[in-house]
Amino acid sequence: MAPTVNVGDAVPEGTFVYVPFTPELEEHSACGIPTKLSTDAWKGKKVVLFAVPGAFTPSCHANHAPPYLAKVPELKAKGADVVAVVSANDPFVLSGWSRILGFGDKILALSDPDAKWSSALGLDVDLSGLGIGLGKRTTRYAIVLDDLKIKYLGVEPDPTQVTVSGVDAVLAAL
Amino acid sequence: MSDIKIKVGDTIPQGTFTYIPWTPELEDHSACGIPVKLSTDEWKGKKVVLVSVPGAFTPTCHANHLPPFLKKYDEFKAKGVDVIAVLAANDAFVLSGWARFLGLQDKILALSDPNAKWSAQLGLSQDLSAVDFGTRTKRYALVIDDLKVTYVGVETERVVSVSGADAVLAAL
Repeated sequence: MAPTVNVGDAVPEGTFVYVPFTPELEEHSACGIPTKLSTDAWKGKKVVLFAVPGAFTPSCHANHAPPYLAKVPELKAKGADVVAVVSANDPFVLSGWSRILGFGDKILALSDPDAKWSSALGLDVDLSGLGIGLGKRTTRYAIVLDDLKIKYLGVEPDPTQVTVSGVDAVLAAL
Repeated sequence: MSDIKIKVGDTIPQGTFTYIPWTPELEDHSACGIPVKLSTDEWKGKKVVLVSVPGAFTPTCHANHLPPFLKKYDEFKAKGVDVIAVLAANDAFVLSGWARFLGLQDKILALSDPNAKWSAQLGLSQDLSAVDFGTRTKRYALVIDDLKVTYVGVETERVVSVSGADAVLAAL
């Protein structure tokens, strides 16, 4: 787990899978249909992306994601076109988690299967050794992309903590 | 799709799942819980209903498979069931979150079978890597009495029939 990219680099192409939010999902009787999203869609855009090792895991959705949701307006005011969370969970799990967190259409919840794109950036972590059924995951990080170039990269030295990958650190960098 | 290897009368192989025991503190979603292990050895002498789904939050949808088991909890208990559990290859944190979402509380355990390892021994796993889902459990239901299988219901299509609450109740 060591980043292989720096501020100023262009990110490699990646394809995520996600379930687009629709109001019908809120009553929990529909599950949604996974669709692909390529990083190509972010050409010319300012994107704030934060990654978690897993949905529902500690440091807990209480610490990392909710502040992002609360400060989406501030992120948008600073020019962010897209705010998204990424993990290696499948898109159905991410859709369920984002509904529990109340993301609505404000924050995309993107699946990076097998942490493939994140590992291309050196941002994956192997949690199999913990013996609790977690495998290859994304580590905890935040990245700001501007026209697919990295403007900010904050990788938590301790993935159970939220410091440089938190929304306040990102806002300060925008 | 592996062939089913388990049948009525067989003793289940030993398996170890992980799960997060439900506590009221989990309900406000600020705590995540700590995964612990559960061995099938603990089911010796007990009557267990095990329901397996390919994944938390996936179609046919939590609306069709799990809720009837929760709704008919008292009927299962009246028929002598000691433990009702849902099983999936998702990790224990995801299962705990999904269980809270479904309101399972302490009525239905949500167990993680990582990589569908235990289910594979029964021939009840499926390879969904083609859609980036990895190895998952099939959709099935088992009734296990003192570690012996007394009912096996494995879905072959994307419906809930032989693995559903009514089918299991009829078999008890």
